[in-house]
Amino acid sequence: MSFSLEAGEVMGLVGESGSGKSVSARSLMKLNAKNAVYGADTKITLHLDDGPVDVMALETARDMKIVRGGAISMIFQEPMASFAPAITIGSQMVEQLQIHTDMTRKKAREVSIAMLDRVGISDPAKRFTQYAFELSGGMRQRAMIAMALSTRPKLLIADEPTTALDVTIQAQVLDLMKDLVAEFGMGIIFITHDLGVIAQIADTVAVMYLGRLVEQGPVREVIRNPVHPYTKGLLAALPQLDDLDAELVPVAGDIPSPLERPAGCVFHTRCGVAIDGVCQRVVPLFTQLSDDHRVSCHRASEQQVVV
Amino acid sequence: MGDTSAASTLTPAIDQQRREAYFTASQGQLIWTRFKKQKSAMAGALVLAALIFSGFFSPFLTPYDPTIAGRDKSYQNGAPQIPKLWDENGFSARPFIYSYERTRSIKTNFRWVTTIRRDKRRYLTFLPEGDKYRFLGMTFRRHLFGVDRGKMHLFGTDSTGKDIFSRNFHAINTSMAVGTIGVLIAFVMALIIGGVSGFYGGWIDSVLQMITDTIRTVPAIPLFMALAAFIPDVWSAEMRFFFISTILGLIGWPTLARRVRTHLLTERHQEYVLAAQLCGATPGHIIRRHLLPSFTSYIIVDLVISFPYMVLSETALSFIGLGLKDPVNSLGVMLQNVTDADVLLNYQWYFIPVIFFIALVLAFVFVGDGLRDAADPYAGAGK
Amino acid sequence: MSAPLIATRKLSVHYPLRGGIIGQRPIVRAVDSVSISVPKGSFFGLVGESGSGKTTFGRALLRAAPISAGDVVYDDGEVRYEVGRIQAKELKSYRTRAQMIFQDPYAALSPRMTVRDIIAEPLEVMGLTESREQTDLQVREIAAKCRLNLEHLRRFPHAFSGGQRQRISIARTLVARPRFVVADEAVAALDVSIQADVLNLLQALQQELGLTYLFISHDLSVVAHICDHVAVMYLGQVMESAPTRELFAAPRHPYTKALMSAIPSLDPDRRDRAQKLEGEIPSPTDPPSGCKFHTRCPVATEQCRREEPRLTRAGEDHEVACLRWEELFEPTPGGLPAHRPPPEIRGVREAGNT
Repeated sequence: MSFSLEAGEVMGLVGESGSGKSVSARSLMKLNAKNAVYGADTKITLHLDDGPVDVMALETARDMKIVRGGAISMIFQEPMASFAPAITIGSQMVEQLQIHTDMTRKKAREVSIAMLDRVGISDPAKRFTQYAFELSGGMRQRAMIAMALSTRPKLLIADEPTTALDVTIQAQVLDLMKDLVAEFGMGIIFITHDLGVIAQIADTVAVMYLGRLVEQGPVREVIRNPVHPYTKGLLAALPQLDDLDAELVPVAGDIPSPLERPAGCVFHTRCGVAIDGVCQRVVPLFTQLSDDHRVSCHRASEQQVVV
Repeated sequence: MGDTSAASTLTPAIDQQRREAYFTASQGQLIWTRFKKQKSAMAGALVLAALIFSGFFSPFLTPYDPTIAGRDKSYQNGAPQIPKLWDENGFSARPFIYSYERTRSIKTNFRWVTTIRRDKRRYLTFLPEGDKYRFLGMTFRRHLFGVDRGKMHLFGTDSTGKDIFSRNFHAINTSMAVGTIGVLIAFVMALIIGGVSGFYGGWIDSVLQMITDTIRTVPAIPLFMALAAFIPDVWSAEMRFFFISTILGLIGWPTLARRVRTHLLTERHQEYVLAAQLCGATPGHIIRRHLLPSFTSYIIVDLVISFPYMVLSETALSFIGLGLKDPVNSLGVMLQNVTDADVLLNYQWYFIPVIFFIALVLAFVFVGDGLRDAADPYAGAGK
Repeated sequence: MSAPLIATRKLSVHYPLRGGIIGQRPIVRAVDSVSISVPKGSFFGLVGESGSGKTTFGRALLRAAPISAGDVVYDDGEVRYEVGRIQAKELKSYRTRAQMIFQDPYAALSPRMTVRDIIAEPLEVMGLTESREQTDLQVREIAAKCRLNLEHLRRFPHAFSGGQRQRISIARTLVARPRFVVADEAVAALDVSIQADVLNLLQALQQELGLTYLFISHDLSVVAHICDHVAVMYLGQVMESAPTRELFAAPRHPYTKALMSAIPSLDPDRRDRAQKLEGEIPSPTDPPSGCKFHTRCPVATEQCRREEPRLTRAGEDHEVACLRWEELFEPTPGGLPAHRPPPEIRGVREAGNT
């Protein structure tokens, strides 16, 4: 799987459960389990201000510190997972800052409260002294964003950050993230299974299936002119308020377990237009449809891409 | 569907069979499969099986009566006798031991002295008739092996001439019996009290927990000392035996009860319980069909692991004289005689039962650990 | 519309909390005086965010939550029950007619029972069959309708994916042939494609078995597609209730409008921020005075703070609980058109069908 991300770009990583999106994101910080095996030609390069960093080469925890929490921050679906329950939010934010910068405690406290205010938390000085469980779900998520952004990372990985939130709170958090991207200029990898959220917040989208990238491109193009059968299937299965009469068409079959990856194109077992003899055996290469829209499908050349 | 035969055209039928077996395996089968993979657990299980078997069949396997009735007056504090096949007098197809005589004369200052006669052999016999014993309610006389004349003592004898070999295996049996009764009583009580506590919650739970904690804080040794003072002398050895076992069970249930309660408290809020309740299932049905099977694995592990504690407790108590006494014969009782300096220096074979004892406890622990490791993964397999 | 199969009159579910100041025990008004009529044969949607009380309401209908006030009337033409009051025998009969599908497919199936036993359990517990053969027959029938084959019946739940488990759950719920089914977030935990699959199954089963659904969900888009009537709840009360088309074409209540505009649209260019709500949902133990929504309502007035609105008629079969709905109502809808989508989106729809 290969992709690149610009500063200030929001990339949506879409896929169903088991598609490997979380694992890919964690690989950027080498946060996967100890028995994870990275392919021999895996290369992850982080372009920081003082030169590129080869993430795969980083071994010790000290080296990884640059990457984890410093240049790259991550926020999760369940904010309770991010905050230790027995320590106040403030202490954790200050700790984060002190690990990655050389601020004094006092300065760290100021910066943290300013961040809490920036993310729209009312009465930030008071919240600073509170515990995670005292905040509501939406506020916890905002606090998590504040903590993640306080170190001014170049890249923010958001792993399903709004999935557990009510839709009105989700709208608030998405607006907040859009504002923050405009202000801070960081790149975001936004992992979700919700294509609607992607449409609203992402600039580019990458669709994953069983660990492989099947389609990638600017969000307008991919959503309006999907090429890969899986992308089309996802869109057809989505209930949309714009057309209440449309039938919801599920993608046929079930997702195979990762232990039994299909040979050839990983999607061929559920694909309605699989080519006999080809799709079962040959892994499709990427077809470049336009400047930045590419697809991994044997039928890609047949598609008329309407711009 | 879950049919993966469509997924990969290259999947052989055997793979499909194995997968199907995994999908349909009951809990017991899954645990057994995982258990088999652990070498230490299997070794422990073998040792345990051997010891239990030998303990259960001890009256048949051992040649003599372990009580004072079966003692050998002429071979007291005698060293172990190993059957030989060959000595300076020639080879013999049948294993034999040497005769011994006890004499007393002026030469020995009128003290009884045992001499070994190397010229006179006693040959091993198989399935001879010997001391009477009761087994499963019936009386038998046949033992596995013996000698044609006199007695043979593979592990030596103690100060009164009782055969340590016979006593050893009878003792294993007794200790196991005490452990079983104790564990059963503890288990039944823990299930009831922990079950009611965990399932109903609320004030019932609070009250029962207070009781549980009180019992848990009772110190064992002073309790037994007090009880020992109260046991009337007229009680037979068997009654004493059951009494000790029961008491051990009655103070052993709190830990298990707590585990049952915790498990039920979490599980009863699961939606499958609500689904059953919406059909009008009674609490009994829910506990029986839904909750109990889900922690059967934990219960079994707890049972197996609490066994050695029962055995250890009984041994310790008997050792200090508060538990069983002669003629009921347990490992603890046998160890009572070991504290003599004379024994430590001269009659080391008194310690042979200790080896068996350690083996028994270790075997239980290995099996218990293996079971626990085998049982745990199942719980997480669903998510 | 047909006669109501199940109707509630001022149903309330209150939970007194422990603790609190002496003399004053805080009460959680999970469901506060809700009156809803579910017509027979309908696919009735109940929508709300967290704290809205929709799940509690669904459970109260089945007596799985305590009814503090008001009543629930079930009438299917054969029997008529006041669900809050019935005992023993009638309750037993009611349970054969009203059942529930749960949200979490992983927690809804007993892990140590085979699928066959799980599906058969309602039959066995409620004593609806006379022999094992009869039970097996009915189990196989309903399993086939839910696309589960014989092999699946012998397996344990851990062998199945989320979507399959939900189908097993549905089979269990329907094996006793109830008339009324409460689907409590039945598709919330599923991936998009599986979700579509299960929703289609629910619809097909409704046709086949003549079911009436109360479909509880937080996802308005799903509800829009599958339900024929929708009620919107907030903090334990119904804010608006209308046939689906009408609700989505022209919502009257500010909360409904806000909910609809908060849903992320698939059109990247439609990034309107109109009617985005500020603030958080108030705690159910300390609800706002007057109209419960006034603290977040963009058009709230002083009157809204003082006076609690009642559900008033806003059209045929359309009810709203808002003091200002008439003055706020524009003939041109603040919602989304139901029948004429803009051409670009239509393009997606067509390209989306392979």
